[in-house]
Formats: sequence, structure tokens, C-alpha cells
Amino acid sequence: MKLPRFSRKTLCIPYAVFLVFFVIIPMCVILFYAFTDRDMHFSFSNFLQFFSDPTKLSTIVYSIVISLITTVICLVIAYPVALILARSKLKKKFVILMLFVLPMWINFVLRVNALRELFNLLSQADALAWLENANIFKTIVGMVYDFLPFMILPLYTTMLKIDDSLYEASADLGGNAFTTFFRITLPLSMPGIMSGVTMVFLPSMTNYVVSDMLGNAKVTIIGKFISDYFGNDWHMGSMIALVLLIIVFASTLLSGGLKSDENVRGTNL
Amino acid sequence: MKKSRIFSIALAGAMLLPSLGMLTGCGGEDVITLRVYNWEEYIDEGGKGTFIFDELHELDENGDPVRDEHGNHIHIESDIVDDDYKAWYEETMGHALSEEGPRVLDDFCEWYERTHGQKIRVEYSTFGTNEDMYNEILLGNEYDLLCPSDYMIMKLAAEGRLQKYDESFFDETNPENYYVRNVSPFIAEKFATNAGLNIRKDPDGEDIYWKDYAAGYMWGTTGFVYNPAALEAAGIAEEELQTYGWDVFTDTRFKGKITAKDNVRDTYFVALGVTYQDELMELDRTANDYIPRLTAIFNATDEETIGTVEPTLMDIKNNIYSFETDTGKSDMVNGKIWLNYAWSGDAVYAIDLAESGKSEDGEDEAKAYLNYFVPEAGSNLFFDGWVMPKGANREAAQAFVNFMSMPQNAMRNSYYIGYTSVIAGEEFEMLDYADYLYGYYPEDEFEEGEEYDEPVDYDLSYFFYGEKHGSDEYAGIPAEPEQAEKRQLFAQFPTPEVIARSAVMDYYDEEASVRINELWSRVKAESLEPWTIVVIVVAVVAIVGGVLLLKFGDKIDFFRLGPKKGYKKVKEERA
Repeated sequence: MKLPRFSRKTLCIPYAVFLVFFVIIPMCVILFYAFTDRDMHFSFSNFLQFFSDPTKLSTIVYSIVISLITTVICLVIAYPVALILARSKLKKKFVILMLFVLPMWINFVLRVNALRELFNLLSQADALAWLENANIFKTIVGMVYDFLPFMILPLYTTMLKIDDSLYEASADLGGNAFTTFFRITLPLSMPGIMSGVTMVFLPSMTNYVVSDMLGNAKVTIIGKFISDYFGNDWHMGSMIALVLLIIVFASTLLSGGLKSDENVRGTNL
Repeated sequence: MKKSRIFSIALAGAMLLPSLGMLTGCGGEDVITLRVYNWEEYIDEGGKGTFIFDELHELDENGDPVRDEHGNHIHIESDIVDDDYKAWYEETMGHALSEEGPRVLDDFCEWYERTHGQKIRVEYSTFGTNEDMYNEILLGNEYDLLCPSDYMIMKLAAEGRLQKYDESFFDETNPENYYVRNVSPFIAEKFATNAGLNIRKDPDGEDIYWKDYAAGYMWGTTGFVYNPAALEAAGIAEEELQTYGWDVFTDTRFKGKITAKDNVRDTYFVALGVTYQDELMELDRTANDYIPRLTAIFNATDEETIGTVEPTLMDIKNNIYSFETDTGKSDMVNGKIWLNYAWSGDAVYAIDLAESGKSEDGEDEAKAYLNYFVPEAGSNLFFDGWVMPKGANREAAQAFVNFMSMPQNAMRNSYYIGYTSVIAGEEFEMLDYADYLYGYYPEDEFEEGEEYDEPVDYDLSYFFYGEKHGSDEYAGIPAEPEQAEKRQLFAQFPTPEVIARSAVMDYYDEEASVRINELWSRVKAESLEPWTIVVIVVAVVAIVGGVLLLKFGDKIDFFRLGPKKGYKKVKEERA
């Protein structure tokens, strides 16, 4: 009997094993649970129930809205920062970039907890007392704080790649700052925007640690919903997870995240 | 060729290694393993901060051991870990008690080997909620001993997942049956009668009683920790709470100043209390069927009840500060909220914490004095008990329960976790423990001429003699009036009055469970008006469309951000 020859492909085995155990099998389990009832019989009841229940649809829509707001705020804050970092002649650019990226290296739960305490402190001032019960506001601030680096980094790396000669050409042809921005910077940073949006929008739909800790568990996003269902009804929990998966897939497709030629997921720091 | 063979063998070996470790981790063949699945932080862990260590070391005001000039701990004599206790330890364990505080689990292994002549290893793991534990069981994980709460014990028994304790376990004449000999008669009665719940059947058609399937571990009530100073500042009299009871949850004077639990069980229970407060108050408390009727109200899960409770739950959600799982204690200590719905053990912890002037993370904060009350209309009485799933090693599991039921060990566990043990002690050892914690002897503490509150008798006869005890039997401790009325003592050792108006929880059957979970998701979720949904969906479609346009717009002539007109003309002319 001949032993299989060792080749470079053999190096894929660990990853293949990982893939099977942690991606494919769990997916199959979710699929199985989503389409079975409590007696483990095949059933569409979860599916029908999901789409006929206003509570579940509301929660999905609600999560999308919260994610959208978070994403837009992140984009508005991150774009100028990335632009300044990438285009200006600042000497200590690296330091500024690190200031934005460093928090990512600190434990996430710790940061959210710190933010919670900060809000507590602030809400003790009379003028800011409204903060105490502004659960949605606090949740969104927390999400923005948490995901901002994920927006800045891809934007920064795409903008770095824009050829300087394009700006020179724009200046030569008499383009003012406004034209240059809309004709060169914005179109060429589009892949970065897309990548950043994906990296913020999708996790902020499910990150219920933030909404639990900062929103006093009164803001229920879809991730929390799934976790609540998994306490006692795995079938419905799996169905919601599956719907979420489809939404995620669709929005990734939409933002072109599946294209292989885009090399902008610049979290290589 | 050879090389790759070695490589693949190495690879296979590397992959097998972890599983090998699992097999050999149990030691030799002569060691048996007891798999215990318990709540987090629910057993004495040994070392600093535990009963034996704290009692035998001089501690500073933060509870840390004081060191002498050589950096050594200072050992002291203790009133409760006294010569008797040490003698008991030496007799049981065969060696002297270490002042450093041994782990109770290690002690069990040593004791088991000594008494049963068999080496044992405890595989100890923990869970956070009854439901998590249940899911683990459902997934087929095997254990010898679990520690679920009352309703979960019922559920597991009704599904036929548990095995009964051996009859010999209940033989009181056997001196080694520490559980039956030491358990409080009050608890034993509750376990024998299911505390007023409907009797359920197991799959064999037999009636289920807790006593057959479970041995008690800890118990307590639920109520409210409250901040009297904050209430006074807001112009609310402390006494009002007693008459108010449950409706603090919907009273707008407490808006944003009260918390509920972030789980469906406790909050549904609370909502029943709020909704049916008047009915609960009107029940005839002297009637024989009072407890069953009380229990029925607190366990109603029919559709009509759910319909009535739903608006209450919404009101509760709008009135509370947060749904919390563990932030309630710290929010209470730092004064952010005034009332926190809590289990009695957590209440004791929060009151202690506030008094010590420390926040949970150890920073100095202003001292706060917190109190505890149990709604007049009735509340929840809960137990956690040891049960054995089918296939468990019954002998070892029962030995474990017996070991934990020795009063001296019950003290250790109770001290560590802050809840109340079900153990009373043959010689009422746990009364000594209560006395050591809360006994009040002003004549020893105060100089002559100083003013002090006269101690009151805190009657715990019901716990030590059972509910139907005779009038000439008394077991109790002298207590500070405040402690007896509303502080740690009152929380940790409930008065007979509190017990008399407390109901245990039943489990939800499958249909009810679906109904209540749907209710919970409706309460937790943001219910949007249909028109809002439409607006949002339109907005999302617009955004998606916009994105698509930006991406593919070039390909559609109409949207082309084309070249200037002049260029076009030239191009056309050329063509």
C-alpha cells in the first residue's frame, strides 16, 4: 500500500479540520435545529412563526436601524481622521494612528465597563442627568466607540494607496479642493468605505454586550434575542440566527465584500 | 517517503494527544471520579476570605490578613472555630486543621478515602443558570451530582432524568447519615410536601416529592434591598414599603430607581406579584389552603393570566432603571438606584458591601446603609438541592452530600457564599453559627452608662424544630432590633412571618414555556408601529438602491456621470 505523498497541500489539513469542526458542523447543526420542532421532526413552523411575528420582525428592523446609525456616525467621524492621517504631512502620524488603534488591544468588555462608569459619573451632573435613562443613546455611543477603529483602518489603508500623481494632475488641471475630493479621493476610497461599513454594520447588529451594559438591558437587538431564545428554545433561536446569517450574507454581497481582488481589509497592524 | 511517514504519525499523535490526556487525567484505575456540577461560586474554595482562614487570622478593616514585622500572618483564637471545631476536624480528617483554610473539596476527597477506603477525585464544574445546566444535561453531558433549584428539580424528575436517593440515605439511626441527622426539620417538611405545589407524576406514574430526589443545600427568599437614606431624601417613608409590597415596580415615584432581573422566570414572578397584589392581600392567611392558593397565584401560566400580566410587565419595563444580572449590587452600593429586587444571599452581600464602604472593585466609597424587605403580599421561597442524574455513582454522590451536610462544613460553605444552609445541626450547631454572625450582647460591647438598644429575641424555632413545634420549645438568638427587622439577619434567616407568606416556583410545562417566552420577547423587544416599519424598510431599500447605483450606475446610460457635452460632440463628429 502506498502512503499518501506529503505535499504542501498537507499543510491545509489543520485548517480543514478546523473548518469542519468549527464552521461546517455548527452550520449544519443550526440548519437542523432551525427546521425541526421540539420533537425533532422536520418542520417549517419556526420559519412561518418568525415571519408572522411582529415582535421578531420589529427587533430585526430595530437592530438594523441601530446598526445603520452606528455605521453612519462611525463613517462621519472616521473619514476625516483617515484622510488627515493618510494625506497630511504630519510628522507623528503613526502616533495618532496608534491612539485610535490602541483601544482595540484592550479587552472589549473592560472598555465597555469603563464607558459605563464614565456615563455614571457624567450623569451625576445635573445638566447631564438625562443620560441615566438615555439607553439608546448610550448604546450607540458605546457601539461607535467600540467599532470606530474598524472603520478608520480600512479607510486609512485605501487612502494611503491613492497615487500622489493624481492629486498633482488635479492641481495642474485647475481642480480646486472640492473637485479633487469628489473626483479623486472619494471614488478611490470607495473600497475602503465599503469594507469599513461591512466591518461596523454587521457586528453592531449582534453585539449585545454593549446594549446590555450601556442600555441597561432595555435595548434589545437581534443578538440578545438569539441568546435569550437559546436559553429554552433552540429551534427558534437557530431560526433567528439563520435569518441573521442571510441578512449578513446579503449585505456582504451588496458591499462587494466577497470580491477577491479587493485587498483593503487593512487591519494588518 | 520515510520522512513524510514520520511527519504524518507525528501529526496524528499531536491530534490524539488531547484526547489521551482526557483519559489519563483520572489517574490510575483505583481512583473513582465524582462529577459535580454546581452553581458558580457556590462552595468553599479554601484560603483567604473563607471561614477557617478568616476566623484564625487577625484581619484589617478590609478583611485582609494583618502581617507582623516579619511579614507573617497573625494567628488568633476564634469563638466558633474553637477547640471543639478543631477536635471535630482532627477526628474526621485524621490530621490537624490547617490555619490556611483547606478547600472543602480536597477535604472531601481525603475524608472519602479515609472512610470508604477508596481514592476519589472530584471533577467540579459550574453553571450560571438553571437553564444552562439543563441544556448541558440535554446535550448528554454526564454528571453524578447537580445542584439545581426547586423548579428545575421538579422538571428533571418529571422528565425521568433523576434517580432517587437510596433508602439507607434516610436512615436516621445510622450516625454516618449526616444529611438526615442534621437537616432542618422545616426544610425536611417542605421537601416532603413539595411546599404546597401541585403534585406531579414522573414517567412511571409515581408522585414526585423533592425528598425522594433531592437533598437540600442552600435556601432563601427574594425581596428588595433598599436605600433608606435615598428614600427619605425623596420624601418616601420607609414604612410605606411594607404596605406597598410589589407595586414599587410600577410606582412612578421610583421611576428609574429600581431594577428587575434580566431573566423571564424572576420577572414574570414579579409581574404576577404586582398584578395580583390585591388578591394576594385578601387571601385568608389562617386558612389551611392559604399556601396552596398563594402558590397557585404565583405559578399561574394560563393564557388569560399572561394576557393580564403583559401590560404590567410593560409598565415595569418603563418604570425600572434596568434589567440586570449582576450589576444591581454595585448600582445599589454606589447609590444609583434605591431598590434592587434580589435573592436574600445577594441582599446580604450587598448590605455588607455597602456597609464596608467598599465598592465591588475595592475602591473607597461613602458608606451606605441598606436594608431589606419582603413584600407583605407574599414572595418567593427557593431551595437549591443536590440531585443525582440517572447513571450517577450513587454511593459517592450520597457521601458527598453527607459530607457537605456536616454542620461544620455547612458553616464553611454558608460563610463563603452568603446564602443560608438547609442544615440545622443535631446539636443546633447552626444556631451557634447564626449567633456568632448576628448575636447581640450589648452588655459586653458597651460600657456602663452608654446608651444602647435593648436586644430582641429573634425566634428561629420554626427552622430548628419544624413548623409544628411545641410552644415550650425555643431556638433563637438575641438580636439588634434593626437587624431583626430589616437587615442582614432578617435577610439571611427569614422570620416565620416571611416564610408563612412565601411560595415556591413550579416549572413551566412545555406549552406554558412557549407562551411565557413569547411574552418575554414581546416585553424585551422594541415594538415598532407598522408605519415606522414601513418608513424604515423604505429607507433601507433607498440606501441599498443608492449603494447599487454607486456601484453599477456606470453601466446604465441614464445615470452615467458622463464626460462633458463638448467632448461628446467631438466624438460624434469623428464617428
